[in-house]
Amino acid sequence: MSASTSPVLPRAPRRRLLGDDPGRLGLLFVVPALALVIVFRIVPLIWGFGTSLTDYDGMSAARFVGIANYAALTRDPVFLDSIVNMLILLATLPVWIGLPMLLAILIHQGVPGGKLFRAVYFFPAVLSSVIVGAIFNMLLRYDGSFNAMLKALGFSAVDWLGNSSTALFSLIAVQLWATFGMSLLIFLAGLSTVPSDMLEAAKLDGAGLFGTWWHIVIPSIRPIIEFAAVVTTIGMLTSMFGLIYVLTAGGPGTSTTLPEFLIWLEQGRMNRPGYASAISMVLFALMAGLAFIQIRIMSRNASL
Amino acid sequence: MAAVEIRQKRALTLIALPMVLLALSCVYPVFFTINAALKTRKGFVLDRFGLASDPTLANFAQAWNQSRLSEYFTNSVVVTIGAVLTLLVVSSLAGYALAVLRFRGAKIVFTIILVSLMIPVQVVLVPFYRTMIALDLVNSRAGLVIAYTAFFLPFSVYLMTAFYARLPRELFEAAQIDGAGLVQVWWHIMLPMGKPALITLGILNTLYCWNDVLISLLVLQDERTLMVGIAALRGEYTTNVPLLAAGIVLAAAPIVIIYVIFQRQIVSGIAVGAVKG
Repeated sequence: MSASTSPVLPRAPRRRLLGDDPGRLGLLFVVPALALVIVFRIVPLIWGFGTSLTDYDGMSAARFVGIANYAALTRDPVFLDSIVNMLILLATLPVWIGLPMLLAILIHQGVPGGKLFRAVYFFPAVLSSVIVGAIFNMLLRYDGSFNAMLKALGFSAVDWLGNSSTALFSLIAVQLWATFGMSLLIFLAGLSTVPSDMLEAAKLDGAGLFGTWWHIVIPSIRPIIEFAAVVTTIGMLTSMFGLIYVLTAGGPGTSTTLPEFLIWLEQGRMNRPGYASAISMVLFALMAGLAFIQIRIMSRNASL
Repeated sequence: MAAVEIRQKRALTLIALPMVLLALSCVYPVFFTINAALKTRKGFVLDRFGLASDPTLANFAQAWNQSRLSEYFTNSVVVTIGAVLTLLVVSSLAGYALAVLRFRGAKIVFTIILVSLMIPVQVVLVPFYRTMIALDLVNSRAGLVIAYTAFFLPFSVYLMTAFYARLPRELFEAAQIDGAGLVQVWWHIMLPMGKPALITLGILNTLYCWNDVLISLLVLQDERTLMVGIAALRGEYTTNVPLLAAGIVLAAAPIVIIYVIFQRQIVSGIAVGAVKG
């Protein structure tokens, strides 16, 4: 393979040490990526599914128990609480989509200072969930600064994070604060593809601002709305850990425990990996449908 | 027609008011934190909201030295740089192979890598941890580098593949005719040509690695990265707000600086996933 052709013939393809066979070398180049993904994600997924069907306790040999772990989940009040919390979170999706979409349309239509708004709104999204959680912990604690401000204004203090009726609401609001700028960028990118002559035509027809939005802008960014909804929902299911960990630690009680946090708690206990894996599989089932849609959008865009 | 335009202008100006309030809410908590970090403990208790009258850097020094943030900072820097470089090399090699070399089975490999997007770390937490133990990668910074690469890789491979697929094939073919081997083509052509995508990925992955807490908690247990350190600081110093605030400012500063410098690349990197671009 390494023998080169005569140097007398210029421009003749020379053979190199690793060869020129795109088939073989292509496979070689993709091995690191493929190996990492298989070893750390795909094999663990299959392994986790296997574990979820056993009574493995981390010490003694695992015994196959079928769907016993899943059956136990349906009777576990902590798990059921985490599902209810998740459903409450998912029910707020319209706000997570509507707010950034509205802001993006306004910025796109030329609100004064649009560029500055975009930069400022996106700013919280670069901060880590730990930073955001620590900041809002200082602000929202019972003896925190938000209550100090409320009291100064004549309102009574609320234990935002320590009261089970407000803790989940606070968690959701903080996460929304921290991520709406991300969706805003997605919508702005989508709006930049709306043909401006359509907007001009609507103006000539005397369509009002809201009429233009409703009949032209929103229908033409429908794919973007779908994409943002999928990405936001995936984020709700899998990107809340850091914030929960720092802001509420899942409490009080189970009021801010979401499935992903429950998996962490179970993993930390180490005494029933089979049960923890079953919770993981439930989360995976929820994720899979969503991610399937996302992957279809992404592979369509990559046009491979 | 002019009337409509004026009416729209007026409506937009009116609506800018709540937008300003929202913008203030985005900035104020950060301002509050910086301001608190500059106060003494007593000064903060006496006046939470006023400007720090006698600003001090003592909190920063204490957080940096006594609370071991300097140590955690080093860990985060080492791991983030290691992981980002690994991600760039691995994903550009894979993108080159998938988009340009188009070996048999490229489509299947691309699909497998994309499918792994639907396996976040929470879904495989237990077996992933046991894999890390089996490979002796727990409690090592190299282990964390590998874990970050595995979990942040699919988007990077996707972006590099999409980017290289749009480059003119003649570039690659001309180099081949000139007798360059496939490795040289990667080094001399694909890497330089891929620079815009690599820069975007470099910045985004820096944010992800620096900001991560879950994988880091799991993999590094004796040592800590900065975010785990801040979470612990939050637990230990609940009453010393200025010290905690100083830690927060130190931990967020690198990312905020990166955001200010690379705003354009970050914005376009996020847009690229959403719109065919």
